[in-house]
Amino acid sequence: MSSSPPQTEVISFPDAPDAARSRSMEERFRALVSSVKDYAIFMLDPSGRIETWNAGAERTKGYTAEEIIGQHISLFYTPEDLARGLPLALLAEARREGRVESEGWRVRKDGTRFWADVVITALVDDGGRLMGFAKVTRDLTERVQAHQEQLRLAHAEEAVRLRDEFLSIAAHELRTPLSAVQLQLQSLLERPEGLDPRARAKVERACRSGERLVTLVDTLLDVSRLTTGTFSLAPTRFDLTVAVQEVVERFREHALRAGSVVSVRSEGPLEGRWDRLRIEQVVTNLLTNSLKYAAGTPVDLVLKGSEREATLLVSDGGPGIPESDWERVFLRFERATPMRNFGGLGLGLYVARQIVEAHGGQIQLTRRGETGAHFVIQLPRSADAGSAR
Amino acid sequence: MSHTVLVVEDDLDIRQALLEIIEEHGLSAAGVGDGAAALAFLARAEELPCLILLDLMMPVMDGATFREAQCRDPRLASIPVVVLSAYRDVDHHARGLGAVSVLKKPPSVRELVSVLRAHC
Repeated sequence: MSSSPPQTEVISFPDAPDAARSRSMEERFRALVSSVKDYAIFMLDPSGRIETWNAGAERTKGYTAEEIIGQHISLFYTPEDLARGLPLALLAEARREGRVESEGWRVRKDGTRFWADVVITALVDDGGRLMGFAKVTRDLTERVQAHQEQLRLAHAEEAVRLRDEFLSIAAHELRTPLSAVQLQLQSLLERPEGLDPRARAKVERACRSGERLVTLVDTLLDVSRLTTGTFSLAPTRFDLTVAVQEVVERFREHALRAGSVVSVRSEGPLEGRWDRLRIEQVVTNLLTNSLKYAAGTPVDLVLKGSEREATLLVSDGGPGIPESDWERVFLRFERATPMRNFGGLGLGLYVARQIVEAHGGQIQLTRRGETGAHFVIQLPRSADAGSAR
Repeated sequence: MSHTVLVVEDDLDIRQALLEIIEEHGLSAAGVGDGAAALAFLARAEELPCLILLDLMMPVMDGATFREAQCRDPRLASIPVVVLSAYRDVDHHARGLGAVSVLKKPPSVRELVSVLRAHC
């Protein structure tokens, strides 16, 4: 460390005449103004022609002092403002009131626009004669853009909220009459006196169509929630093996119609904390896919567990999915086969992946043997450790 | 308590279907279209129902308001309530209302019957 005293700049005025001190102050003030970068500060003559230019003005408007001095301030105004005579109107108001403030779009040298906060002050001599104007301009483009972005975001969020609310109500309204239909049909099937076989088959078909409608309504609602982030998990502790067996049991008739045998193999109970309804939905979507695209082939569900995670493999003996499509099939409205062959929304695997990932797990396709689609789902034992929203 | 199930549901078709199914399974059933009508029914019932199937979204008095009034009345508070709703994410709400179970619309007859067997 140096022991020398701190250096201090001393400005001295040996003969201290007032005029000299005043001149020095003026020079320093001029230097200060010319070095200010955040504000364009310049002077105009009484007609509005530019007389001085600082670093901030060059930075804001893009002109150098050589280019701009002597030009009229009209150059900075948009054609719309020029058409309504704004530059001269502002100067006239500054002359009349002493100063004028305005905000609006101005034009840079390169033709781009910026949002300017402008103050024009009239400079008059002791006799009240107009000597010119001082003009201070601040570029508020970023602030205005940030504000506009905030407004845009708020509007977008509101639109999403309204859409979500509408879809939720629409789903509710669609499900209500469907409930009446389903209950009546099921009630017919359960009548003790029974139905003749032809009538029973018709009612069963109607019931299945009703179930499909309910599933479609739910899927559409899910997709809305998944994409807007309003989808939430309600984890509870349960045995994954039991849940999978229950889903398969619900698919018994469906599998029979598809000519497929669905088998479940498990090493034993697989306890974990997951959202049971959502996990059942994943299994449902995968089974629906297999029975649709691999009808007539066996579908195997194999459950395995480690200390940290549970794994479910779903395999069928169908045509499988080309490796080049393994990522695409998990996207919204995508499918491995052309739409003319199979109907559906193309949302089952997308929804499955979103649910698995919300549990902190992963779902992917894998190769096992020559044919068939083979899905592997890995779930951490607790969804609470996942990225559930 | 009796072997009567009170169905509180504003949709007439659903209510009628539920009443029929309940009766076909050997119980008696009564139906009303909103929470206020349910309170009126319970106020004059000599025998209280063994179970209330409660829709949530109803005109006049919704399911949640009915449930609050039911819980405040010591005579009615212990009647188990099963929430019946077309909203899929209703579980949390139903738990908050102290429902013993939730049936999502459309419920399957099998689910309905298992709930009836558990409580009546």
